[in-house]
Amino acid sequence: MKRVAAVPDRTLENFFKTLATLLIGVALGLFATYMAVERGYGFGAVTAGAWTAWPKSGSNEADPYARAVVARTGEIPLGLAEGLMFVARADDDGAPFDPKCDYTIRGPMPPTRYWTITLMDPHGLLIENEIQRYGFTSAEIVRERNVPMDVIVSASARPGNWLPIGQQAPFIMVLRLYDTIVRSSASAIEARALPAVTRGRCA
Amino acid sequence: MKRLDQFLGWLPWLLGAVIIGGIVHIVSILAMPRLAPNDSWARFAAVAPLSRLTPLPPVTPGKEFGPYEDPAMAVSICRYDLDRGPLRLRGNFTGGQLILLSFHSRYGDVFYSMTDRSAARGVLDILVVTSTQLATIEAYDSEDELPSELRLTAPDRLGYVIVRGLAPQPGNRDAAAARVAAIACGVEAAIPG
Repeated sequence: MKRVAAVPDRTLENFFKTLATLLIGVALGLFATYMAVERGYGFGAVTAGAWTAWPKSGSNEADPYARAVVARTGEIPLGLAEGLMFVARADDDGAPFDPKCDYTIRGPMPPTRYWTITLMDPHGLLIENEIQRYGFTSAEIVRERNVPMDVIVSASARPGNWLPIGQQAPFIMVLRLYDTIVRSSASAIEARALPAVTRGRCA
Repeated sequence: MKRLDQFLGWLPWLLGAVIIGGIVHIVSILAMPRLAPNDSWARFAAVAPLSRLTPLPPVTPGKEFGPYEDPAMAVSICRYDLDRGPLRLRGNFTGGQLILLSFHSRYGDVFYSMTDRSAARGVLDILVVTSTQLATIEAYDSEDELPSELRLTAPDRLGYVIVRGLAPQPGNRDAAAARVAAIACGVEAAIPG
């Protein structure tokens, strides 16, 4: 009698196991997609220090990851010949940007005709600030000799090339190299070819 | 031993979950360009007519026409439908100022891009065609002369050209916008034959 009763139990158990497997599988897959697209951990990403780029998104050999990222954000990617866009979501130590802290972006830049640096919110939109300064181009910053990039990011006014953090909200840094010799097809860019992003004092 | 038995009993289910996860991941990544509701083409269809270079508004907070746009750039778009005929772009790059052009297909692939420096003698002359149109045009080409224009075969009937002009200083913005606006974009009226 017992054995006969055990049969429907087994079916039920298997049903739930199948269901759980399906649900866990779907969750895993979607999580991996989320990490790849929103966080930039897919195959196409190139990282140099704090900076990450999706170099292939601007070519007709864009890999599925780069395409998915572009479709998801709705951005217009820079073409291969136009330049390369790098995003930093955390400083060189890997700590996410804190709007209460000061940051310096300082150091070398690869040979490029122009570059621009912009502060944005995590979705790539500008953040309002009082002096309406959203970024710098390479043509307008004041610099020391042999230091191509020297910008200070802070919520309060600083001497030098001050980029204001307009609101106490999360932000990212966007660095664009226009008409650069850094080929978009590069699979690796040396970290020391790009400026360092270091945290300073925090309020 | 009982532990091992239990583990072995779960193993196929775990593997199943991982395989399903892999399939879901691949399918969702591949489907993203077609499913994303807010892609560039959908957004620009509302603001930019076909076959005309339309300036996009300056990138300021709350008024961005798209994410990750550089506020230092004056941007224009020329959407095209090659069923209307080949698309012709013409212009002169004289000032040595940075101008960027990129050619996108409907689903966002960039099939060609260039800067003002890569234009021969500072002259921009591009014809965007389908492969059928290209064959027609080539049939009427003179045999002695190379065509003066650059012919680009678009992967898709629909697409758009983005022209960006850099304003190195905020005060140069109008000049940059004027340089971009000086580029002509339109349907090529007469295909030979």
